[in-house]
Amino acid sequence: MQPVVHFKNVNKLYGELPAVENLDLAIEPGQFVTLLGPSGCGKSTTLRMLGGFEDLTSGEIYLDGKPISHLPPHKRNVNIVFQDYALFPHLTVRRNIAFGLELKGMASGAIHKRVTELLSLVALQDYAERMPAQLSGGQRQRVALMRALAPDPNVLLLDEPLSALDAKLRQQMQIELKTIQQRTGKTFIFVTHDQEEALTMSDVIVVMNKGRIEQIGKPSELYARPHSRFVADFIGQSNLLECTIVSVAGTVGTFDWRGNVVHADVIGSTAMPGAHATLALRPETLYCLTAKPEGRLALKGRIVHRVFKGAHTSITVALENGTSLVVQLDPVALSHIEGDAVWVGWRERDAVLLAS
Amino acid sequence: MRTYFSDLPKTALGASYWLFAVYLVLPLALMMAMSFKDANFIAFPIGNWTLDWYGKVLHDKQFLAASLYSIGIALATTICATIIGVWIALLVSAENIWGKSAIFALACLPAVVPGLINAISMRIFIRAVDIPTGTFAIILSHTVHAVPFVVIMVLTRLRSMPANLVDAARDLGADPFVAFLRVTIPYLMPALLGGMIFCVLTSIDDFVRTFFLGGYQPTLPMLIFAKVQGGMSPEINAMATIVLVVTTAVGLYAEYLTRRSRS
Repeated sequence: MQPVVHFKNVNKLYGELPAVENLDLAIEPGQFVTLLGPSGCGKSTTLRMLGGFEDLTSGEIYLDGKPISHLPPHKRNVNIVFQDYALFPHLTVRRNIAFGLELKGMASGAIHKRVTELLSLVALQDYAERMPAQLSGGQRQRVALMRALAPDPNVLLLDEPLSALDAKLRQQMQIELKTIQQRTGKTFIFVTHDQEEALTMSDVIVVMNKGRIEQIGKPSELYARPHSRFVADFIGQSNLLECTIVSVAGTVGTFDWRGNVVHADVIGSTAMPGAHATLALRPETLYCLTAKPEGRLALKGRIVHRVFKGAHTSITVALENGTSLVVQLDPVALSHIEGDAVWVGWRERDAVLLAS
Repeated sequence: MRTYFSDLPKTALGASYWLFAVYLVLPLALMMAMSFKDANFIAFPIGNWTLDWYGKVLHDKQFLAASLYSIGIALATTICATIIGVWIALLVSAENIWGKSAIFALACLPAVVPGLINAISMRIFIRAVDIPTGTFAIILSHTVHAVPFVVIMVLTRLRSMPANLVDAARDLGADPFVAFLRVTIPYLMPALLGGMIFCVLTSIDDFVRTFFLGGYQPTLPMLIFAKVQGGMSPEINAMATIVLVVTTAVGLYAEYLTRRSRS
């Protein structure tokens, strides 16, 4: 399938500073793609280059196979939902949504019909004649979304559109956005720094850091198999273990972690014995026992910190080797308290060997 | 009593404010009162009241001609000053323009230069480039004086404009000119209205520049001045009262429009 959007070796410099470096990214049509990264990682710049609001320093962007980097914003068939919505304050909700259609030269009867249709998609039919200032944050968000969808763009770009909403509304809008994306079948490119948002909505997540792509994958893949220290740390929470490789036998590697022998899958890795390696462990994959188990990995430690978080309890265990691990537990299953001696371990398939 | 004395500074402030208000309003009130006096000279007591002076003013061809002339000059000034002012404001608000602060300072200079200096320099200038005194010269100098007010009002509004608004318009298919017409201009409307009313009022009010640059046809202030020279009469009071009422009404209406479009 031809990608709907294709960045080919795109570079963007601000003066001497690279904002985006050697970006190669192909986006399949109909997908919900999220560009995820901390502020300053180049995700917004990438989106603005696609929208036509930033020039490329080098490289080319293809939309439906055609190069578009020389086109001004109004000649590109992509629309943006801006972070602060950017609704026109002097126009009603209806006229806001009609704006793009009017410029396309659509007949006024057809515009009326299309706008009414779009408003009903987000249950805002009764608000058509209101001014943007008379709407709540969530309603403005929906109007901005419909305004951008109205001209029927190939790709819809969303620049952190949920960041101004409160937590509850944000979760609701995440589901709504995903539903609208599925119903319209449009390609959505969503920019955010919020990993939870990315995990909830995306078909594909593109993790960016310092102007480069760190990893591309499905949310579950990224979570379970992060490639780099950055991804392991940025998406969810990870315990990072600095080890030395002792030996590799088939798909299982043996590592020395501060005098303890631990194992992990090494599929796809070319690491050689003697080399330094980093293992990533999700807190919820660790087990924590009061007695030393037989035949399983168990490292002795003491609970130094305990935080109740509602759905789970997070404990920090200081190990005898001088490091500490964060373990996430079911709050009813165990009721360890600070100062308790415990045994911590994990199944070898849950430890992920990081490439960098 | 203690509270009374502890409030003394506040009381003194309040009292002096009202004193000032009386000082502001009293001359105007006197002027208006005298315009209703049924006698040829201005003095108390008023005795008989009349509207005759108003009738006389409204049938005074000189007064009507001067009023129309002043309004015409004010409208021409407003159009020129608004176009130039908006253009300068856009230029100054653009991100990377060389000599931005110099442009702004130059545009605003006429607001602080004394009217007299402005008038004399303009007079010398039009002689040098061979423009006759008269309507065109008056409009030139009124425009120079009005531009800074438009620039400052429009610039203030432009700075509060979210940058994304124009981007959103461009994104939805508007070329730069359409985006300007359909998004920027409506957003600037309150400032434009305020600035334009200000232009009209300063132009109608101006005496010094008109005096130096005018031809034979008198504007309203010049006509009133000439009449005062010929001796005060309640007719002048009636004229001044009409001007006062009309300009106040225009000013208040502008304020109302500005407030409404802001909310």
